Amino acid sequence: MEKTNTLVDVRSLKKYFPVMRGIVFSRKVGEIRAVDGVSFKIYEGETLGLVGESGSGKTTVGRTLLRLQEPTEGDIIVRGEDFLRVSGGRLKKMRRSMQMIFQDPHASLNPRMRVEDIVGEPLRVQGGLGGKEIRKRVTELLELVGLTADTMDRYPHEFSGGQRQRIGIARALALNPSLIVCDEAIASLDVSIQAQIVNLLEELQDRLGLTYLFIAHDLSMVRHISDRIAVMYLGKMMELANRDEIYDAPLHPYTRALISAVPVPDPDVEATRQRIVLEGDIPSPANPPQGCVFSTRCPQAQDLCFARAPEYREARPGHSVACHFA
Amino acid sequence: MPDLLEIEDLRISFRKGSVVNGVSYSVRQGEIVGIVGESGSGKSMHALSVMRLVPSGGRIDGGAIRFHGKDLLKLETEEMRRVRGRQIAMIFQDPISSLNPVYTIGFQLAEMLRRHLGMSGTQAASRAAELLTLVGIPDAHQRLNNYPHQMSGGMRQRVMIAMSIACRPDLIIADEPTTALDVTIQAQIIELVKRLQREFNLTVIWISHDLGVIAGLAETVNVMYAGHIVERGPVRKIYKNPHHPYTVGLLGSMPRLDRRMNEKLVSIPGRPPEVANLPGCVFAPRCPHADQKCHAEMPPVTQLEGTHQVRCWHWPQVAARN
Repeated sequence: MEKTNTLVDVRSLKKYFPVMRGIVFSRKVGEIRAVDGVSFKIYEGETLGLVGESGSGKTTVGRTLLRLQEPTEGDIIVRGEDFLRVSGGRLKKMRRSMQMIFQDPHASLNPRMRVEDIVGEPLRVQGGLGGKEIRKRVTELLELVGLTADTMDRYPHEFSGGQRQRIGIARALALNPSLIVCDEAIASLDVSIQAQIVNLLEELQDRLGLTYLFIAHDLSMVRHISDRIAVMYLGKMMELANRDEIYDAPLHPYTRALISAVPVPDPDVEATRQRIVLEGDIPSPANPPQGCVFSTRCPQAQDLCFARAPEYREARPGHSVACHFA
Repeated sequence: MPDLLEIEDLRISFRKGSVVNGVSYSVRQGEIVGIVGESGSGKSMHALSVMRLVPSGGRIDGGAIRFHGKDLLKLETEEMRRVRGRQIAMIFQDPISSLNPVYTIGFQLAEMLRRHLGMSGTQAASRAAELLTLVGIPDAHQRLNNYPHQMSGGMRQRVMIAMSIACRPDLIIADEPTTALDVTIQAQIIELVKRLQREFNLTVIWISHDLGVIAGLAETVNVMYAGHIVERGPVRKIYKNPHHPYTVGLLGSMPRLDRRMNEKLVSIPGRPPEVANLPGCVFAPRCPHADQKCHAEMPPVTQLEGTHQVRCWHWPQVAARN
């Protein structure tokens, strides 16, 4: 695919959360570096997969990208405009073009609102449309995501997980956004329903020319849906490349281990596979290791890795990696 | 030698309807049996019934669960208590809610050993440390003094595994033990279970929604849907040439990491029924092969080559297509 237009350009994004102690005279005793200097671009019309384990900061990247949380440092350039420096009316306008689908369709839909109000809310807040027009648009949106218009007067609890996720998608589409951040959008669904939602997302992308940031821990699904894939670990970007390149020729030892850890539904493949089993757990982001963040679990770590953090650089055209030995 | 566990025509229901609807299978000594299904398939509920731990509101309506030839459903409460943990152990999905937060893990491990095996306090403490070492927890002696919240999810699941093998049970039931864990930690746990299974010739029933995990672990797999086993047989056979449309759909809806895929995923339309009350085949409303017969009558179990079984009227056509 052609990578002509950059939709979002993220440069050395950082998000630190303070760790406070004390209730009345609370003071800062440390910080959690959830995202620690991450740079990447999202091209118009592509799906960028963002994978990582818990604590890797992938969700925080998604949230800061939409300014649901203000980043500590860094730049987010959206279509050439500095998204972090805008405010007021301009910010509201720019936010229309960026929407989010959340992981848990139970928690992200207000149980006291009817479907019509949930899907229509962005239209009311942003669009200034009247009641009739809203109803018409909501009907369109529901049909777009495969629900019938008669669901409009029902409440979220009347729907299954997959249907609720469809309602969440309809709400995200209400303002014709160009970018949708899907944060573990299928993680809480059953396998057969996951496939339905992924197919729907792909269809919508083709029809509406959407761009996705697809955040997930399920590498198999990420490989299926993404054009390029970014791998995060402990707040840092480890590797970013074209999806087939990342699986066929991964450069980072963490990416290799991650890929080898994913079970494949084929007994013959599983029987012969060499698995790289990483030892230990992900260190706490409140107290990340010196040098390379992956050094404590890396099977190839050398003295240099414990001393100095590797630079995140383009090793091959379109393939970036943060490892001294890649 | 008779099978270690034989489940025959097991039926469990709640007020809203039946959740396990005539499940029968057997488990041989030393094998790992996988059970695959989505939420509501009855996979966890039937496993809980083996331990006689069906939550309140649920009722075992019929069937038999023969363990060493003895029907567990007929045991007195006191007898059953001696089987639980001692002869059949269970590992749950979420170790944080299965461990007691106010006791150290050393205490909790030792409690089992004292209660079931009648060990003294010091004996139990040293055995507990051995067990932690066995499941790959470093500094076992210090770790005994930890409370569950001081450990990571992977470590806690290792503790659960240590507890499950503490009394050398004949059967371990693992209900989605790696679902709450990250993939790299999941890989560690799977390797651990494989090693322990080889070393101690363990018999394991491993329940999962992930066909990939089962592919690498089990020899036999039961595919469950809406309270029924719809297909059962050797893992190799079922993955290579599934005979039930649900198995076909499940395999098709999982993308594979080791393959380039540009075509769409084969999704199964609709969703699983919450309770199966329809007269026909439970999968008929979502099945591409369904015809009138399917909607009218549940197909019987067809015995195929070897241990392969399927419950579908149209299995020859389904098998030929794959």
